[in-house]
Amino acid sequence: MLTVDKVSKSFTTPGGTVHALQDVTLSVKTGEFVSIIGKSGSGKSTLLSILGALDTPTSGSIIVDDTEINTLSGRKQTTYRASKIGFVFQQYNLIPNLSALENVMLALEFGGYPASSRLDRATQLLHSVGIEEDQQHRRPSRLSGGQQQRVSIARALANQPAYILADEPTGNLDSVTGKKIFDLLHDLSRSQKTTIIVVTHDLDIAGKTDRTFTLQNGKITTK
Amino acid sequence: MNVVTRGIKNAVRSPIKTGAIVLMFAISIALILSMLVARGSVLRKVDEVKANAGTSITITPAGIVGDQGGGEALTTAQITIIKNTANVSSVTSTLTDRLGTTDTNLTSSLALGSFGARQQRFEAPNSSASESTGAAHPAPTSRINVTGTSDPNSIATNGGVLTISSGATIDGNSSDNIALVGATLATKNNLAVNSTFTAYGKTITVKGIYTTGNAFQDSGIIMPIATVQTLTAQPGAVNNVSAKVNSSDNVASTVATLKTTLAGKADITSQAEQAATSVSSLESIATLTLTGVIAAAGAGALIILLAMILVVRERRREIGVIKAIGGSNKKVIGQFIVEGLTMTVIGAVIGFALGIAVSGPMTTSLVSNSQNSASTTSPTRGGGPGAGGFEGGFARAQSQLTTNLTQVSATLTPQILMSAIGITLLIALLGSAIPAWLTARIRPAEVLRTE
Ligand SMILES: Nc1ncnc2c1ncn2[C@@H]1O[C@H](COP(=O)(O)OP(=O)(O)OP(=O)(O)O)[C@@H](O)[C@H]1O
Ligand SMILES: [Mg+2]
Repeated sequence: MLTVDKVSKSFTTPGGTVHALQDVTLSVKTGEFVSIIGKSGSGKSTLLSILGALDTPTSGSIIVDDTEINTLSGRKQTTYRASKIGFVFQQYNLIPNLSALENVMLALEFGGYPASSRLDRATQLLHSVGIEEDQQHRRPSRLSGGQQQRVSIARALANQPAYILADEPTGNLDSVTGKKIFDLLHDLSRSQKTTIIVVTHDLDIAGKTDRTFTLQNGKITTK
Repeated sequence: MNVVTRGIKNAVRSPIKTGAIVLMFAISIALILSMLVARGSVLRKVDEVKANAGTSITITPAGIVGDQGGGEALTTAQITIIKNTANVSSVTSTLTDRLGTTDTNLTSSLALGSFGARQQRFEAPNSSASESTGAAHPAPTSRINVTGTSDPNSIATNGGVLTISSGATIDGNSSDNIALVGATLATKNNLAVNSTFTAYGKTITVKGIYTTGNAFQDSGIIMPIATVQTLTAQPGAVNNVSAKVNSSDNVASTVATLKTTLAGKADITSQAEQAATSVSSLESIATLTLTGVIAAAGAGALIILLAMILVVRERRREIGVIKAIGGSNKKVIGQFIVEGLTMTVIGAVIGFALGIAVSGPMTTSLVSNSQNSASTTSPTRGGGPGAGGFEGGFARAQSQLTTNLTQVSATLTPQILMSAIGITLLIALLGSAIPAWLTARIRPAEVLRTE
């Protein structure tokens, strides 16, 4: 269970204060697959980063499985990200000088996975997202966008997180590949009971999720 | 894969960039090492020269060198002042005089020669004025040098004990009419131990025959200083004092004290002072190399610092990603420190090899360049005809000093190696810790922003 209660976030910029989020209140049930849509600049990424403890809200609270994450210490937030959250980004954000396998193993290391079993687990994870043996040893630059996004999903899944936060995971992919990636996430939520929150511009994709939130100028308009 | 292997892997991520940074760093390390070696070698040489320069100070009456010049000899009061000066451990006083044919029954064993003739031309009997006074000048002959000294050994040209070929040495504090006679003069006048001769109208007993290997000295006579003072009717007069200082560290201050207490009455010189002038160019090399070490260390630190700051900036996003997927600040900082250390260690190894290779030639060229310019300006001193052993000794020591000074050998001592390693470590830590600390301030939320 994830509850967002009256969360506001404002940024101070040279041009004045930007209210990226204003009194956002919502809740997501465990195992739910929800989507967030909205125009560019409406605050979607900002909301996701606050949910993932990458940033702290100006006011309000986020309670994840009975823990108020916005008041956690820096170290506890790091642990929260490593063990409870899996991130999937629009630009994949794989570490460029590490192979696909090593990228996944990095997340396993941060999640406290024993060193001896990291390789096996990473191999198996990559296999499950459709990255085959010969691709596993390649660096990200030698993989297609779709393949890179699969690797990043494998990385997000590494520590069996309760939540996957995906910011426009199909935004850089063609529609066919995007659909495959979406299906992959969809299957995960079904099979592993992982709660998935996906930000998207694609209304087709949004339509297939359990629920859709719409953000407009930092405010939730529909539930 | 862990923090360490990731850091090392990142260090060699772009070989050309890393290579350039490592090379620049290596050059500054090589400079640090060779400068330290040059400095260490030069300072050792300076200490050596200063230690060997001796602790004696020569005090002569102003305007008088040996038997030449004019003015007043030093007085008993002045000798007392010298003896009572702090740090002066012993004082040897000398009064020299020359015997003409009317003063003694001895014949000089030195040929007058053209030099001697010129020295005595003023005394030639050539004016009618002298005839009218009735006091005829003696014909020009070579004079016999008489040294009255409180320590007969001070005549020894080797700086040690005077060589007595027969008989025994005399007590410099005596006031008896006794003498040591130089070997050549003794031969010329058939003098042996216990022979007597006449000087200043008194009978003098020969106590010993000495040799110094110096033709001038070996044609002279040594007597106790009090005897010479009495015979020449110059009570208390001294025309050369050699004072020993208790430690080489105190020579400069003692010279300074004497210069004030004997203001204007005496000329004061010390080997140590002259050595100090000679090594001043070496000392300026030491200062120069210290500046070099500091500059090279600063440059090295700056190279690593800037390189690492650039690396951190370049990898902001990657750092954000690592944090977003659960990497702690500690791991990110650790990784960057390892990356910085990897570059500095490679750079240091190359730098040390390079430094050891160039430190020899660098020391040599630094020293010889400075000595070439110094030797043209360094004063040369020589002794006059009656200047005695001290001045001659000075001149010899001086020329030895200058040839010695260019022979500074560059040696890498363990201490120098340790300080070079210490400086390198400090640079490495500073250069990589500051940028690594910057990574801690990167907000992970940045990763959600499209570039
Ligand atoms: N670090 C920041 N400093 C200043 N303003 C910011 C910062 N981050 C976000 N904003 C502002 O907050 C608002 C919301 O940004 P956000 O990135 O959440 O929008 P978005 O809905 O994700 O847009 P897009 O669909 O284009 O990704 C924007 O006006 C943006 O300029
Ligand atoms: Mg966004």
